[in-house]
Amino acid sequence: MAGVWILADNRDRTLELLNVAAGLAEKLDTKVAAFLWNDSQLAEDYIAHGADEVLILPSLEEDQPLEAYIPTIVEEALRQDPDIFLVAATARGKEMAARIAGRLNTGLCSGCTALQFDETGKKLIMERLVFGGAAVQTVTCLTRPQMATIAPRTFAPAVPLGDRTGQVRELAAGLPGLVRIVDRKPKAKQSGDVSDAKVLICVGRGLEKEEDLALVRELANVLGGELACTRPIAEELHWLPEETYIGLSGQKVKPDIYIGVGISGQIQHVTGIRDARLICAINRDENAAIFEVSDYGIVGDLYSVLPELTREFKRALGAGKE
Amino acid sequence: MLRIITCFKWVIDQADIKTSPGSRELLLDRASYRISDYDRFAIEEAVSLQEQHGGSTAAITVGSPAARKSLKDVLSRGPEKAYFVNDPSFDTLEPSQTASILASAIRSQLEYDLIICGEGSGDLYAQQVGPRLAEALNIPMTTCVSKLTVYGTQIIAERKLDDGIEVVAIPLPALVTVLPEINTPRIPGLKDTLAASKKPVVDIKATDLGQSFEPCLQTITILASSMERNGVKFSADGADIRKFVEVILKTGNIS
Ligand SMILES: Cc1cc2nc3c(=O)[nH]c(=O)nc-3n(C[C@H](O)[C@H](O)[C@H](O)COP(=O)(O)OP(=O)(O)OC[C@H]3O[C@@H](n4cnc5c(N)ncnc54)[C@H](O)[C@@H]3O)c2cc1C
Ligand SMILES: Nc1ncnc2c1ncn2[C@@H]1O[C@H](COP(=O)(O)O)[C@@H](O)[C@H]1O
Repeated sequence: MAGVWILADNRDRTLELLNVAAGLAEKLDTKVAAFLWNDSQLAEDYIAHGADEVLILPSLEEDQPLEAYIPTIVEEALRQDPDIFLVAATARGKEMAARIAGRLNTGLCSGCTALQFDETGKKLIMERLVFGGAAVQTVTCLTRPQMATIAPRTFAPAVPLGDRTGQVRELAAGLPGLVRIVDRKPKAKQSGDVSDAKVLICVGRGLEKEEDLALVRELANVLGGELACTRPIAEELHWLPEETYIGLSGQKVKPDIYIGVGISGQIQHVTGIRDARLICAINRDENAAIFEVSDYGIVGDLYSVLPELTREFKRALGAGKE
Repeated sequence: MLRIITCFKWVIDQADIKTSPGSRELLLDRASYRISDYDRFAIEEAVSLQEQHGGSTAAITVGSPAARKSLKDVLSRGPEKAYFVNDPSFDTLEPSQTASILASAIRSQLEYDLIICGEGSGDLYAQQVGPRLAEALNIPMTTCVSKLTVYGTQIIAERKLDDGIEVVAIPLPALVTVLPEINTPRIPGLKDTLAASKKPVVDIKATDLGQSFEPCLQTITILASSMERNGVKFSADGADIRKFVEVILKTGNIS
């Protein structure tokens, strides 16, 4: 037996993987199967978006994390022997994929950014970033299934394909695992989303104190953009929410304009802005690495540049409107 | 008594990665190496848990013989013993091999209650070795840990996930991978460095493990990722800022 399998935490991620999986399955002349739990309503939706089969995972005990599905998924994979197994590279997805790959004794391309079949039409050539994003590694998987995790938003979501039919199959429950949830603290929904902002003003450690974010926010307001940051600003200083930091371990973004303020431009950050249309930077160090990957830069102290820049943009945009 | 193992990797310093002019080939011969940044948090967590609960901390790494330089460094950070699993072929391992080698070495030579890994290695950042190692050892595990507490024979771990915090209880023996915000690694002083050279190192050779480790993933190429941009710089004076604004508005599609 065979197939292209996908596993993702939620609907958005599932649709992205369905898009990729459908193309691969067509070339292999095989089927797409998607895992689903909690919400069997979505089965028809997934089928409409390209799944040929939806594998429903039984509901878990209250204290069981999603990872408790691993034994059930592995058992099914051993029975069905899929060709390819794609997993969304969310925090949980990465753990689940690595553990599933471990149990299946197969290779896993983590954080795959591009994939295509080689000349035999069977083996995937997969790309991923290494050395913090400074280099691209191309790998193939020598074992079955060929596995990859794919970062959120790497691919566009599948579109509904109209009249489609598919199978829905429920899998048997496994035994509860040893890891038990004792508490959950869901994150409050944040306003503004950096992942689909057209304009991003991104701050780094060049900013001296939290209050100074006001300067950056003003520029963002004038340009109708969102505020984003580097990892230390979110993870160490906690000045901005974690989902606003950009880079290898944070968000990958594709804005029309990115303006980096007080950011050195280390590769782990820059990797996340690779796909921006226009990259701009403000840094007082003319040798800062960020300038090497910028289209336009201003060499200067952000504390004098920002107010003036905001004023100029305001003037220019105001003039344009009249 | 809490017996902790911390797994770390000796990796190329990012800053030393150069490309040969006009090509995407990487020049790594002159690069210096360091303990992978994220593994410093794993080492610190192990050492501070040992300080609270007693017991022992051993550090283990898999690498080519050149990684021997890492041992003094890691021991200066607090662990009392280092295990060095080395072979000339061990510098191009993929994560499934590294995990199998670690599992094999740990099973044959080490006793443990808790294994701590980093979030991901500084070079490959595959985020696989921890989870695969736990599977190979058949022990429970969790990732993304931002707070870790040991209560007798179980741990309570706070996991930072995309949708919030999940607190889990896991019976020991167990494995966790930790995030940078879990602690602030101490900087070794001269005394620590001197003490490190007196601490024991256990050498484990590939032949001691009595099995071979076949890759599941094959690397075809590793090439510099190019990021060609205009690279135009303006100064901070008024006229230049105005020019900058003009260019951005023209090319940036803002209205
Ligand atoms: C495996 C790994 C993954 C990582 N993932 C990420 C990630 O996803 N995202 C991320 O962002 N980082 C990540 N990092 C961290 C990354 O390596 C850098 O440490 C971080 O991006 C640096 O942040 P920064 O540019 O804000 O700070 P710094 O590097 O400290 O740079 C500050 C800059 O501000 C400039 N500056 C100072 N004062 C002024 C002023 N008054 N006016 C103008 N300029 C000024 C300085 O010249 C300097 O260039 C990761 C690291 C590792 C090892
Ligand atoms: N060669 C190695 N030796 C020991 N531990 C390793 C090695 N490679 C990776 N690890 C551990 O596994 C974690 C994840 O690595 P990776 O899967 O390569 O991202 C690292 O943070 C280390 O704790």
